[in-house]
Amino acid sequence: MIEFTDIHKAFGETVAVGGLTLSIPPGEVFGLLGPNGAGKSTTIAMTVGLLRPDSGTVRIDGGDPADPAVRARLGVAPQSLAIYDDLSARENLLFFGSLYGIDRAAAGKRAAELLDLVGLSDRARARVKTFSGGMTRRVNLACALMHDPAIVLLDEPTAGVDPQSRHAIFEIVRSLRDQGRTIVYTTHYMEEAQKLCSRVGVIDKGRLLALDTVDALIREHGGDSVVRIERAGGEERTQTAEPVAVLQQALASGDAIGVHVERPDLETVFLNLTGRSLRD
Amino acid sequence: MREIWALAVKDLKLLIRDRAGLFFTFFFPILYAVFFGVIMGGMGSSEGREGTPILVIDQDHSKASEAFVASLEADSQLRITRSEDRAEAETLVKDGKQTAFVVVPGGFGDSSKTIFKGEPIRLIVGVDPSHAAEAGLIQGLITAKAYERLQDLFMSPASARQMARDAMAEVDKTSDMSPVQKTIMKSFLGSLDSFMKDMPAAGGFGGTSGEGGGAGFNPIQIETVDLATDKSGKAMNAFAITFPQGIVWGVMGCTAGFGISLVSERNKGTLTRLQTSPLSRSRVLLGKALACFLATVGVAVLLLVVARLFFGVHPQSLPMLALAVFCVAVAFVGIMMLLSTIGKTEASSGGIGWAVLLVCAMFGGGMIPLMFMKGWMVTLSNFSPVKWSIYAIEGAVWRGFTFDKMLLPCGILLAIGVVGFAAGSRLFAWSEG
Repeated sequence: MIEFTDIHKAFGETVAVGGLTLSIPPGEVFGLLGPNGAGKSTTIAMTVGLLRPDSGTVRIDGGDPADPAVRARLGVAPQSLAIYDDLSARENLLFFGSLYGIDRAAAGKRAAELLDLVGLSDRARARVKTFSGGMTRRVNLACALMHDPAIVLLDEPTAGVDPQSRHAIFEIVRSLRDQGRTIVYTTHYMEEAQKLCSRVGVIDKGRLLALDTVDALIREHGGDSVVRIERAGGEERTQTAEPVAVLQQALASGDAIGVHVERPDLETVFLNLTGRSLRD
Repeated sequence: MREIWALAVKDLKLLIRDRAGLFFTFFFPILYAVFFGVIMGGMGSSEGREGTPILVIDQDHSKASEAFVASLEADSQLRITRSEDRAEAETLVKDGKQTAFVVVPGGFGDSSKTIFKGEPIRLIVGVDPSHAAEAGLIQGLITAKAYERLQDLFMSPASARQMARDAMAEVDKTSDMSPVQKTIMKSFLGSLDSFMKDMPAAGGFGGTSGEGGGAGFNPIQIETVDLATDKSGKAMNAFAITFPQGIVWGVMGCTAGFGISLVSERNKGTLTRLQTSPLSRSRVLLGKALACFLATVGVAVLLLVVARLFFGVHPQSLPMLALAVFCVAVAFVGIMMLLSTIGKTEASSGGIGWAVLLVCAMFGGGMIPLMFMKGWMVTLSNFSPVKWSIYAIEGAVWRGFTFDKMLLPCGILLAIGVVGFAAGSRLFAWSEG
């Protein structure tokens, strides 16, 4: 269980996090959604004990993340590719494993498993500097898992990766979810949050604007769907809370040559909540 | 401890895999030591500066020797200290506390009066082997002073006439010369006496210079004492003197490299990642410090092995050498910690780091011998870790320091290391928030 209770963090005059209260139960894949500068990374930094909140508390299974024993339960894949380019993928994994006191034999076995998981077994002994961005990102993720943490924090894990690696990372996250781990997934890609997260917190300017399941957020903040009906004379757009009924009507009229339904998504949710796009 | 060791091994792997860094850390110092070793092997002369500290032992206590020592004292290029104990003077020079010593042996005054008999004026000079490049200069200065004394004799008609008469008396008494030689010499000295009689009391030869002495006439003889010897009295080679400097250059390369690596880790995010592990910040820094320490020791050992195998350098004391290398490594680990907190980027950290280290090298005698520096610069050199590092390694390699003598440089180096590490860690913690 991760619990944030009314945490505040400011850097000079800039408020990075202002009064965040949130609980993430074990086994949940929680998405922290917000644009760059929203306060996601600061929240992660306080979760892992890198930063102390100015006020409020962060608790990991009831413990303070400043406590090394508490931090040992966390696996962190930072947004920056925080691995060593001049070491091989395997050496990186063994090194990060050694920081958690894993003995060499167990670390070797675990490294092999993880390299298999991230699809890099055949490049295990190649130096990371020879890898593509996506491969490096996968090693970055694997390093967070070396000590088999119960809670995994993934900070923008797909930033700048190719579609193949993005897909591989999605599969890894699903696999971790199936193993019952708690995952905090920060992103500004709404489709990732929609695909992977059971609950999403929308954060902007350090404030939690909304918190719920993806469907509930869309229902509550997404607004109406848009139904586009193509006819010989042109396209008709209808904004409606009952898209199925509008579709049935259009099809019954017999002159529709094409229909398209645009459902609201998290991007729409964010737009409606903040008045601007996620990527602004 | 295992985690700290893992951090250190990781850093050493990264160091070894950085070829450019490896070159400047390990091979550049060898080039440096060899280059200067070859130059110093020729014991060439160089230009001087004021204030070279020299001990003078006057064993003659004659008017002439007193006048000679006074003339040395009057020279602004020399900083003369009188001593009565030649053995102590040799030790002080060998310990690097004085640049040279000059012994004015008994008979100096008498020799000054009888130069025409063929007895040269003797002086004994010993120069700190680490100042080999300046040895020629020091000997030249002392020779010039001795010649000035000789010139003074001729400048004064009265003393020149007295010298001529003394010499004629010596010629009469000696059995080393044939009657023909005696006649020629007495004729010459008599003419000189008559010539001087008509000269004004002051002015003498009026400062005119002749065409130089006749072939083979060398009235001043400088005997040099070789201080660069090992315990058995065997001469040390020039590389024994240059390799300590080479080692310190290698150590500086290591220090700069590790200082940059910490900044690099901070900017890349790996440092943040390390701090999310159960390791405390101080243990993360200890890991970096251990890697720097091991690399520094590795550089020193490698250079010493090269010096031993390829350049015939035989350290006088291995335990003292181990102590010196340990203390040098500790000092530069502390410096690395400080340097790593200065720059924000790798480029700025590297630039600032090398600038600081080069200043330390300049003032510490790593580039220019200390004797060429002004007095205040020499005083400032006491604050340079380079000076104490070279001094400690020299102490073990060829100065023959005992443990007592190693205490000063080693104590200073350890203090630099501890203070640097503490201050660097604090600054680092502060900069990391």
